[in-house]
Amino acid sequence: MSKIEKALNRARDGRGNLQVVPVGAAGATPSPGTAIVADSTAHPETIPRMAKGEVRLLSAGDLAQRGIIQPQHSEDSAVQVFRDLRTKIIQQGHGKNAVILVTSVSKGCGSSFIAQNLGAAFAFDMGKTALLIDCNLRSPSVYKLLANAAAPGLTEYFENPDLDIEEIIRPVGIARYRVITAGKRREILEEHFTSEKMKHLMDTLRRRYQERFIIMDGPPMSKIADIRILSDLADYVLVVARYGHSTNTQIENCLNAISDRKLLGVVFNDEPRIPRIR
Amino acid sequence: MLPEQIAKALITESFHSRRLVVTIFVIVNVAALIVGWLWPKGYTASTSILVDERTIIQPLMAGAAVATDALDRSKNAREVIFGRRIMDLVLEYGGWLQTQPSVEEREFIIEEIKKRTVISTVGKNILRIEYRDVDPERAFRVTGKFAELFMQESIAAKAAESGAAFAFIEKQTQEYQDKLTRTEQELKELRSSTLDVRAGEGEVTTRLNDLYKRIDAAMQELREAEVKGASLERQVSGEAESTAAISREGQYRTRIAELQSKLDTLRLSYRDTHPDVVQVKQQIQDLTEGINAERARREQLKGSGRSEPDEAVVNNPIYQQLRREQSQTQGTIEALQARIAELQRQLQTEVSRGKRMHSGDARLAELTRDYQINRDIYQDLLRRRENARVSMNMDSDRQGLTFKIQEPVTLPQAPVGPRFLHFVLGGILLGVVIPIGFLCLRLQFDPRIRIGSAIAVAHKVPIITVVPHLWSPRELKGLRWELALLTLVVVATVAASAAISAIRFTKVL
Repeated sequence: MSKIEKALNRARDGRGNLQVVPVGAAGATPSPGTAIVADSTAHPETIPRMAKGEVRLLSAGDLAQRGIIQPQHSEDSAVQVFRDLRTKIIQQGHGKNAVILVTSVSKGCGSSFIAQNLGAAFAFDMGKTALLIDCNLRSPSVYKLLANAAAPGLTEYFENPDLDIEEIIRPVGIARYRVITAGKRREILEEHFTSEKMKHLMDTLRRRYQERFIIMDGPPMSKIADIRILSDLADYVLVVARYGHSTNTQIENCLNAISDRKLLGVVFNDEPRIPRIR
Repeated sequence: MLPEQIAKALITESFHSRRLVVTIFVIVNVAALIVGWLWPKGYTASTSILVDERTIIQPLMAGAAVATDALDRSKNAREVIFGRRIMDLVLEYGGWLQTQPSVEEREFIIEEIKKRTVISTVGKNILRIEYRDVDPERAFRVTGKFAELFMQESIAAKAAESGAAFAFIEKQTQEYQDKLTRTEQELKELRSSTLDVRAGEGEVTTRLNDLYKRIDAAMQELREAEVKGASLERQVSGEAESTAAISREGQYRTRIAELQSKLDTLRLSYRDTHPDVVQVKQQIQDLTEGINAERARREQLKGSGRSEPDEAVVNNPIYQQLRREQSQTQGTIEALQARIAELQRQLQTEVSRGKRMHSGDARLAELTRDYQINRDIYQDLLRRRENARVSMNMDSDRQGLTFKIQEPVTLPQAPVGPRFLHFVLGGILLGVVIPIGFLCLRLQFDPRIRIGSAIAVAHKVPIITVVPHLWSPRELKGLRWELALLTLVVVATVAASAAISAIRFTKVL
């Protein structure tokens, strides 16, 4: 990447988009690309309403450990890829926020990884926020980003009428990035997605903040019914196929279940690439 | 799919399956080391035999003696050497029979020897025999024996072959000679039997023509003579009759006239009753009767055709003349008749001779034809027999096919065939090629997708992005160790191969 491109990226993500890590944060080992700033109540990099939940942000090491891309690693091809993907989606929606369903052609294709990092890529942009909803109720993974995994999630929201939306949206320690976990596992969960409450939830989330991009981490295509319901709720669908894992038949079945209108395309995940080993 | 894409996919896949690649590399190398170590050493002994048919005799006998075609030489040599007789001798000579092998074992050993023996032609006239054995000494001995037995067998076979050819041609020649002799004999007999016929063979027609002409002429003459004879006959008869009649009647008439005058005189003096007159009358009467009698006799003679010329006639010169001519004519007729008879006899003889001549000619032509054919074949056979005799003599004097050991067999010092180093190098090469080949096959046939663009092609949907593997710090650390370990394994494998090669080379082990 040329120096000009690097500079542009930095400008787009805001002043180097340094991860803000409070001094003395638990387990935080500052990495070379991580800025250490003084503890404060408001961060100039953060949209003011979101500053409340972003007192404690994850360190670069924690992010790397969780498999989340970091803006300062702009030379990393994975970072570039997710930035490009983000740009394509924004262009597709003409700058408006959108609901993106990420599903995989089979289990183990890494749709959660794609969904989480796509969210992170949206959050790179200081003018945008990302909300990741874990819709894979049978095999949830978003909770792993949180320190408190037992916090209420989607299922609790469906089952508890008193629970407010705000109570299930949780910060993950990344600026402008929030998640809704799947919640506790229950049987017969598919009906929740067809409920009015789910529609209400999605409408509310989408309308409340125009800069918010909502990413739904969907179940794999083996749950075709879920995918159909969820794709109705979404604006765009990304299908994840994995290198050396997915077959043409699986991809074919998956694509048949999704409307061409909403299908953004196929993300070919986990292509081996020899890393730079220092 | 473009070659660049395939190459990129192959590199990606090699990295992805690095452990498998290294494992196969190590296994292949170890296998090559083991095989190379256990591979039996082979010693090859070889000898070249110059098969020389271009002796000094050949140009002299060009076209006469027939030389073996060089193209089939190695095939012929293989047939001869791998023949049962030579193989049995070689088995015995090479010491394979010391263990008393069974019939099946012997067959197996023979097959093995055949597999290890290479017979080839170098250039046009050099035959090369190569034999490989684990024992250099035996390779040396067996190769030498092969060459020796091959030369013996070839010379004997060629001599026998040319001898048989000569014997056959000799027999044929004899048969044709007999036939020719018989034909000659028949021809001779025929010629002698038709010898008379053959004299003046070409004149038969002329002579026949001549004879016919002469016969015709003689016949003509005969006819003329006969006409003449008949005429003379008639003339002779007529002359005698007329002469005789005229003479006798004349005499009678003269007497009658005389008597009439006398009577007339008497009548003048005497009466009719006078005795003189009566006498004279009587005489006249008698004479008249005499004339009549003469006439009657003449008529009678004329009727009988017989004439008895009387003296008066005979004495008639014309009559005599006619008689003479008649006699001559008669003689001529008889002579002509005799000549015609002779000519006709001659004609008969000539005709029969002509007939005999023609029948003899047909037979002669047949015999001559047979004779010529037999003679041609016989002469050809004679020529062939002489060729065969020359070939046989060349073989018996070892002039036709000579063998010379061009390159004598030597005791092989160094083993041949793939050496240990070849196995080591081959192992390293295969250790690289086999995993790559395996990965290629997997890329080709594994339904799991490894090339992103293939999805776009197969499903007509855009590949919105290809996300590379995101290495976590822990993974990277593990990868570092893993790559170091794999490199170490590869280096150790190559080093071990090199070390074992060096040890093997210096014959420490």
